[in-house]
Amino acid sequence: MDCEKVRDRFSSLLEKELTPSEEKIAREHLSSCPECQRELGRFEKTMQWLHSVGEVEAPDGFLPELQKKMGEQKKATPDEKSRGRWFNFPLSLKLPIQAAALAAIVFLALYLTKMMPMEVSRLKDAKQTSSSLSAEKKSEQELVQKEVERERRALETAPETPRPKDVEQAKPPIPGEEKMEGANVPPVKAEAKKTEAPSSKTEVMTHQAIGSKEAAGGKVLSLKPGKIEKGLVAKEKSVAAPKPPQKMILRISDREKGISQLRDLVKQFGGEMITTEGNMFLASLPTGSFPEFEKELAGLSVSAKTDKVIAKKQVTGSLRAAPVVKREEVDEKSKEPARLATDVESRAIVRILLIQE
Amino acid sequence: MKTSPKIQKEVIESCKAGDEKAFAEIVLHKQKKVFNIAYRMLGSLEEAKDLTQEVFISVFESIKDLKEEIKFDAWLTQITLNHCRNRWKYLKRRQYFNSDSLDDPIETEDGNMPKAIVDPSGNPETIYEKKMIQQFIQRALLKLKEDQRELIVLRDLQGFSYEEMGELLGLPGGTIKSKLHRARMDLKEVLERSAH
Repeated sequence: MDCEKVRDRFSSLLEKELTPSEEKIAREHLSSCPECQRELGRFEKTMQWLHSVGEVEAPDGFLPELQKKMGEQKKATPDEKSRGRWFNFPLSLKLPIQAAALAAIVFLALYLTKMMPMEVSRLKDAKQTSSSLSAEKKSEQELVQKEVERERRALETAPETPRPKDVEQAKPPIPGEEKMEGANVPPVKAEAKKTEAPSSKTEVMTHQAIGSKEAAGGKVLSLKPGKIEKGLVAKEKSVAAPKPPQKMILRISDREKGISQLRDLVKQFGGEMITTEGNMFLASLPTGSFPEFEKELAGLSVSAKTDKVIAKKQVTGSLRAAPVVKREEVDEKSKEPARLATDVESRAIVRILLIQE
Repeated sequence: MKTSPKIQKEVIESCKAGDEKAFAEIVLHKQKKVFNIAYRMLGSLEEAKDLTQEVFISVFESIKDLKEEIKFDAWLTQITLNHCRNRWKYLKRRQYFNSDSLDDPIETEDGNMPKAIVDPSGNPETIYEKKMIQQFIQRALLKLKEDQRELIVLRDLQGFSYEEMGELLGLPGGTIKSKLHRARMDLKEVLERSAH
């Protein structure tokens, strides 16, 4: 018997489970193999130590502590118990539920995050529109008042009101405009407004006028049709009312000659003299021929210079309405305003001051 | 087998019926046995105490399913071993035993004791030396594989017969014997290594 086999039987040898012949063979090997003898000695020592290991006493007060613990568990509410039960569910049941819940959460999160920006922007737009509308409403009222006062002053200075023709010419575009504006959705208008930055007083005024119209358009639902018309007419009047005409100074040596030359010139360009008051003349001219007229007038002047008091400003009411129409054209991409623009671009009123040198 | 006093069949039946007094009697009779197996398997008094509580709670909850009252001891040992296996896995996952080496002080029933490696060839005679040996053995047991430790605890510390062990572990007697011998030889190796 080799060492390995003998060592495998140490337990059986110690527990006396070997047959007498097996034990004899093992003992013979051990007596002739000091290495195996030493191994058996160590094994016996290990077993001796193992058997010497005594039992430890259970902790004091184990039973009361256990009973207390069990009492606490009993007191646990049914909710807590059911919550605890979840942890005892088999993984095969828990995993699909958890996966489904996760998928639902992800879907909801994606859905909400996709929806939110739109909602927020819509809300912002709505807020901006409403705030700008209310602000513009006020400014519009102020503007209308100011304008009315200015018209009154202009009328007081100018002895004659502009020809009714001008007013009539200015009127037609309005209903069309209103229709278009009425069809507008507030956010779209707000966007159009954003793109246009006010650069001059005229633009600001135009802008405000649009704003007021938008406000009116926005309120269409709540207003009665009669009221709307009234408002529109009033607005149109204010728009068509004569503005301080372009002022020019004609320097002449001979007054009579100068006056006749001026009359001829006005007639030559298809215009007409409206009023004459001392050295102040008010003439109505077709807008198209105005630059030519201006040149000719400069030629008449002795000092060969015509002073522009107010330059570059198209004064006619109809022209003032034109930018609005054009803007609408841009905003609405409508073909309608083109016709209006050609209709209204007709006459300009010019104030000429004669200075005798 | 170093058996704890046998519990009467009537007590077990009363406990099945939900009698708390009968349950208390069972606990008092079996707590030492359960606690010792737990302590030798886990090497921690605190863990052993906690585990013993869990075992008895399980006993109280599932005793109604026990069909043969005569097999109560084997049933209780089976529950204890199952709890020990679960707790061992749990503690191992949390690296509870990582810092534990034979050079570290180990917790005994008297608390932490200083390191004392005794030469296996020496002759421990005093009580102190005996305690040192117990500590030494406990450390070495924790170095073994879990199933090897189980075999040694059941056979050499708790005195179970091979037949009982075969039933408990679901293995034939021959396999139990050879496995147990391998476990003892490994324990001897561990002790020798740590002694030098």
